[in-house]
Order: sequence, then C-alpha cells, then structure tokens
Amino acid sequence: MEPEDKEEARFIARLASRDERAFNELVVLYQERVFRILLRMLGRRDEAEDMAQEVFVQVFKAVGTFRGDSKLSTWIYRIAVNLCKNRVKYLKRRRTEAQDEYEALAERSPMTSGSGVTSGDIHRPDQMVEGMQLERVVQLCIVELEPDFREVLILRDVEDLSYEELCEVTGLPDGTVKSRLHRARAMLKQAVERKMGEKAK
Amino acid sequence: MSETPGDGVAAPPTPETTSDGEELAADLRSALKAGAAAEAPPDVLAGFQKKLRERSGGKFYEDGWSTSRHPPINTYLITSLMMLAILGVIYALLAPLSGEPVPVENTPQPVQIISPAP
Repeated sequence: MEPEDKEEARFIARLASRDERAFNELVVLYQERVFRILLRMLGRRDEAEDMAQEVFVQVFKAVGTFRGDSKLSTWIYRIAVNLCKNRVKYLKRRRTEAQDEYEALAERSPMTSGSGVTSGDIHRPDQMVEGMQLERVVQLCIVELEPDFREVLILRDVEDLSYEELCEVTGLPDGTVKSRLHRARAMLKQAVERKMGEKAK
Repeated sequence: MSETPGDGVAAPPTPETTSDGEELAADLRSALKAGAAAEAPPDVLAGFQKKLRERSGGKFYEDGWSTSRHPPINTYLITSLMMLAILGVIYALLAPLSGEPVPVENTPQPVQIISPAP
C-alpha cells in the first residue's frame, strides 16, 4: 500500500469512528470543490450552499459503508452528484407546479389587472442577454443542459476529473461517458453561439 | 443510474482525441474562471455542524447550550455568579457604599419682591 493510501485509510478510519475533528478537516478540504460542482449544476448559490451542507451530512451518515473501492474524493462527488440530480428533479417539478398555478391565476385574472404595467417593465430575452458577460452566458447555457449531460460536462471540463473517476461518479461505462460528453459539448457550443448571436444582434 | 436515451455505447470519435473537444474544454474553463471570484464558497462547515447537531439531538458537535439534553450545571452557575458580581460593581459605582445619602443644599433663597413703579 502506498503511503498516500495508508494515510487516506487512516483518515477514513477516523471518519468511520465519527471523529468530529476529522469531519472538520474533510469539510474544509472538499467544501470548495463540492460547492463549485453544485453551483454549476443547480445555478443557484443559496441552493448550492444548502446542498453542500447536505452532502457532508450524507457523508457523515454513510461513511461506515464506504468500502474504499474508489478514492474518497470520487465517493464524495458521487454523493454530491446524486443528491444534486434529485434536487434538480424536485425543483423542476416544483417550478412546473408553480407555473401551472401561475397560469391558472392568469386565466382567472381580469384583463384590467394588467393595467399599470408598461412595455418597459417586460424584459425581452435579447435585452436580458445584452448585459451579460460571456461567463454568465456560459453558466446559463450549462444550467439549461439536461442534468445527465450537465453532469459529465461539469465534472470533466470544469472540474477536470479523469475518465476513470467520471465513470465511478456517474456509474456509467466508459463509452457512454465519452459519447455523453461529446454531445454535451456540442449542445453547449450551439447554445452559447445562439445566445452570443442574439446578443450581437 | 439510468442512461439517457440516445446514448450509444458505440461512441462517436473520442472527444478527447480531437483537438476540438480539448479546445472547447479550455474555452469553457477560461470563461468560467472570470466568475470564480464571485463563487467563493460560503462557510459550509458551520452549516454542516449545525445541521448535524440538530439532527443528532446534540450528540455531535454539542455546544452545551442549544441542543444538549443535560445542560452543564457548572456553566450556568458560573455565569449567574459572574452576572451578580457585575451587578454589584455597577451598584457600587452608582450608589454610595456608606449607605448615608450625601446631604444636598436645599434651603430656598429669600425672594425679594419689587413692587411695580406707580
């Protein structure tokens, strides 16, 4: 066993014995990367912050079941990605419900209820894009990707995970990961070009 | 984990081997680097400790005050005594310790009435 592996095994043993100081070290060590992944996946800082805390709570609960088949970091990213995907599904459902409620309300509302709203209050998409920086456009396009594509793109191209780690985190075979990444890049490129084109117009 | 429809195991040319994929990845990183400063992580540790403390009913990250089922008596006792001592000091500063009030000159001065001129 490599000295590095030995050290990690010792650290995992401390975590498994619910050593609070070991958990403090773990959070400090991984919080930045976990938060960044979650922020890219969710696109909202408050959600990402809450979810990052949740990831470490899950790690605390499940660390006893960690068998050491993969690196600790990979296992943590896997928890983060799975929690995140569940959250995205939940938020999407909630948004749809909210949208339904909003539409129902709009149908019930009389026409006069819109008085006082001027055309200047309504933001057109092109106007919204105009003020954005490239980073914001890219971020927006990433969030608009389907979660399965977003996940591989963020982990590989933003967080620089290896293909091996990517397979472990997603639980997908190598070929699928590569194909998904290829498609995700193409979709992102197309979306960014479209948005930047709108901006240029 | 389910596969997304359309994901073929027969993958297209490996994106990593094409310079196009690498170029896009590099562009992506540099574009996102600009906003990195705004993405400084919040204090995840404090939130994590709070969540764990609440969910474990004070078993982990016990602070001795908010969630403990058996509050430490000594802490309460010491705090109470310290507060009493502080109150005593404040009283001593504001009131005389002898118990006798300081006499205050309070005799009214004679008033001279000047009658208005006829």
